[in-house]
Amino acid sequence: MNDIPARRRSILSLWMTLTSQNPVIVTILALVLGFVVGAFIIIFTTATILDAFRGFFNSWGAPGHALKVTFDNVGAAYRDMFTGSVIDPAGFWHSLTTGKGWDNTLTPISETLTYATPLVIVSIGVGISFQTGLFNIGANGQAVLGGVAGAVIGSMIKLPMFIHLPLTLIAGILGGALAGALPGVLKAYTGAHEVIVTIMENYVIYAFLLYVVLSTPYQQPGQANDIGRTIHASAQLPPLFGVASGLRVSYGIFVAAGVVAFAWWFLERSSLGFDFRVTGASPSAARASGISPRAVIILVFLISGGLAGLAGVVQVASTTHYVDGTFLIGDAGIGFTAITVALLGRNKPIGILWASLLFGALGVGGRAMQAATGIPFDLATVIQSVVVLFVATPVLVKEIFRLRAGRTQALQLGTQGWG
Amino acid sequence: MMSIDEAPILMTINAHRGNLRTKVIGGIMIVLAIFVILVFALGSPAGTHSQLTFDPVNTTDSPIRLGTLTVLTRWWNLILGLAMLGLGVEVFWRQPRRGVMARFGGVAVLLLLALLFWAVRTPGPSQVSYVNLTSIFVGSSEVVMVLIFGALSGVMCERSGVVNIAIEGQFIAGAFIGSIVASETNNFFYAAIVGAIAGGLIGLVLAFFSIRYLVDQIIVGIVIVTGIDFFSAYLNLQVFTPYPNLNVGNLAPNLPIPLLHKIPIVGPLFFNQSGFFYCMVIFVAVVSFALFKTRYGLHVRAVGEHPQAAATVGINVARVRYINVVLGGAIAGIGGVAFMASQGQFIPDYTSGFGYIALAAMIFGRWRPSGAVVASIIFGMTVYLAANLQEFSVPISGEILQMFPYLITIAVVAGLIGRVRPPAADGKPYIRD
Repeated sequence: MNDIPARRRSILSLWMTLTSQNPVIVTILALVLGFVVGAFIIIFTTATILDAFRGFFNSWGAPGHALKVTFDNVGAAYRDMFTGSVIDPAGFWHSLTTGKGWDNTLTPISETLTYATPLVIVSIGVGISFQTGLFNIGANGQAVLGGVAGAVIGSMIKLPMFIHLPLTLIAGILGGALAGALPGVLKAYTGAHEVIVTIMENYVIYAFLLYVVLSTPYQQPGQANDIGRTIHASAQLPPLFGVASGLRVSYGIFVAAGVVAFAWWFLERSSLGFDFRVTGASPSAARASGISPRAVIILVFLISGGLAGLAGVVQVASTTHYVDGTFLIGDAGIGFTAITVALLGRNKPIGILWASLLFGALGVGGRAMQAATGIPFDLATVIQSVVVLFVATPVLVKEIFRLRAGRTQALQLGTQGWG
Repeated sequence: MMSIDEAPILMTINAHRGNLRTKVIGGIMIVLAIFVILVFALGSPAGTHSQLTFDPVNTTDSPIRLGTLTVLTRWWNLILGLAMLGLGVEVFWRQPRRGVMARFGGVAVLLLLALLFWAVRTPGPSQVSYVNLTSIFVGSSEVVMVLIFGALSGVMCERSGVVNIAIEGQFIAGAFIGSIVASETNNFFYAAIVGAIAGGLIGLVLAFFSIRYLVDQIIVGIVIVTGIDFFSAYLNLQVFTPYPNLNVGNLAPNLPIPLLHKIPIVGPLFFNQSGFFYCMVIFVAVVSFALFKTRYGLHVRAVGEHPQAAATVGINVARVRYINVVLGGAIAGIGGVAFMASQGQFIPDYTSGFGYIALAAMIFGRWRPSGAVVASIIFGMTVYLAANLQEFSVPISGEILQMFPYLITIAVVAGLIGRVRPPAADGKPYIRD
């Protein structure tokens, strides 16, 4: 290599990096694979495309026509996904040249940020539990309980904003931490596997949510449906650009940014975070160095649950302003998306930040796609699952794309069986 | 790599706590008994009576009628409460080494009976004046059947050392594809075959990622469930909405067994069921036999307990695991078809975590088919009663009742009721040296 000029050598090394197996490349290629799988799903389930292929051998022009229909449909779906979640180039150009319509132009990105705000918070909680080798599958239930606690405090007492808003957020954190305490304590003292406990706890909390929004103290007065009281303005996280702008992105993004900073400091700089990571990497080493596994398990679940609860209350305080029977249930279940986000972000705060922006965009874009093309937005979640499956399997991505061996970084997760 | 709670420490704790735990369980049983005596027995006004019937709702096929048993609510519940008290005191006092779980199950059944008797007392608030045990058994048998399918799938996979947390996904896939096939062919046998293939394919994906690429089995399982869940919701909108004729389904017809189905109670419960029920019974027998009486079953258990040792004597660890996970997936896939066939069509999100309850039933059943059956019956009846208790005007909010199956599952996994030990290599990837 010595006789290669320096300039050539740097290009070569860049090429070597790009074709070797490193985390960034693997993630990007996993995304590509996810969208390819998504495209095939669209092709095989859309009647117009299948109809176009029906006459494939009937005339010389048919194959071309079939391919054109395919590309048009798949392209339209993905284009709508992009313009609906990031920016519409035409609208952007219009706003740039005329100075008008910025509200419309910025709506997609604002929606993505609105969706990603609680997602970042809850995913960081899940990521911290993963880093400690514990599986918190109950983030969704914890977020629901946090949201309910915050909504009750936010709607049923009246205080000035500088007390009320923090109090509401703290109520949410406490609600989530309470829900997290159960699997933590059970795991620490009885060895109950946290996966089963948290999954079951989710269903318990959903039933509890229905109970709360249907019973007198919190149910919206004069309502027979499963809908709760709206929180007071003093407990809301107001929109960043004012209500008049119509952009929903709120001051919640500062809460999310604070959580990212806190998590980075906690995991990288604090001694407790170090204990957590040691426990995740090697429980026996942790015990040998005097770290109490029980204390770590319980603390992890308190922190993880507290962050999930904060996410739930941020969702209430900034977006929904009330809790109803479908709060964070079904396709809105950010606690489940958080599992995939944490895996995609490799459980690191910064990685999780990017991953939640990406999945936030996918979620918002999926809805835009459904509105424009009729393809159900659930496709976005299917794509997410495929992406995460590939991210968790770097070796497979390497084999598919024939990458060079490089810095392999498999996900370090310490859960093994039912213990 | 070991998990955080390492076995030796827990075992010493358990040795100390064994007696304490039994005492706590006995205490809980005594509290429940006192509750029954105070609320359900003494709380029923004197003179109220409850009826107990055994005849199925549709009596055309049952020539032998058992008639109704009318009892005085207060005295009957007092007897039940005292029986519970006896069991509780015995457990608390003697701390028997075996059979604590069975006694606790007995107390739970008595508690449910007392609750039902109290709920249907006449004169009383309820419109229903009788408890029809046969129809409760028959009604819950559908849920129980689905849970048994799932739990068997779990036993198959986990005995070979692979955690199958994707049972829920296999249910969904089986229910979805089964609905299409049943709607098109109106033949539930074909539906079961296709459902088994779908479940087996999901099992294959799980096995592929966890055995070949050593990805954490719980992660793969959960990602698969998420993906399948939303894929089915996607297909429901994209395919079933424009082509509703693909999801008409039908209820699987009952196939009464001649003569036997006329026996009271047992007949409607065991001999007048859909083909899926008989299929489930055969599967339980086959899986039990295969796991514990055959050479292959010995290999499976060896692989699940100590894969290195199994490999040393020439067993192909990966192959055994692949086979078992695919077969387990196929069983769960049939379970999904069975669930669809008992509902009449595919409805997204309708399995509401049955896959996870089945997993818990398998844990409660100590990784044995027989135990899984018993646990599935307990869990299935709880699920069924929680959903149906409201017709008895029980003064408990329906939302609170919905929590019970899940709370019981938590109590079970936490070892509050009984202690369980998984196969030693369960969930651990096998890395060849």
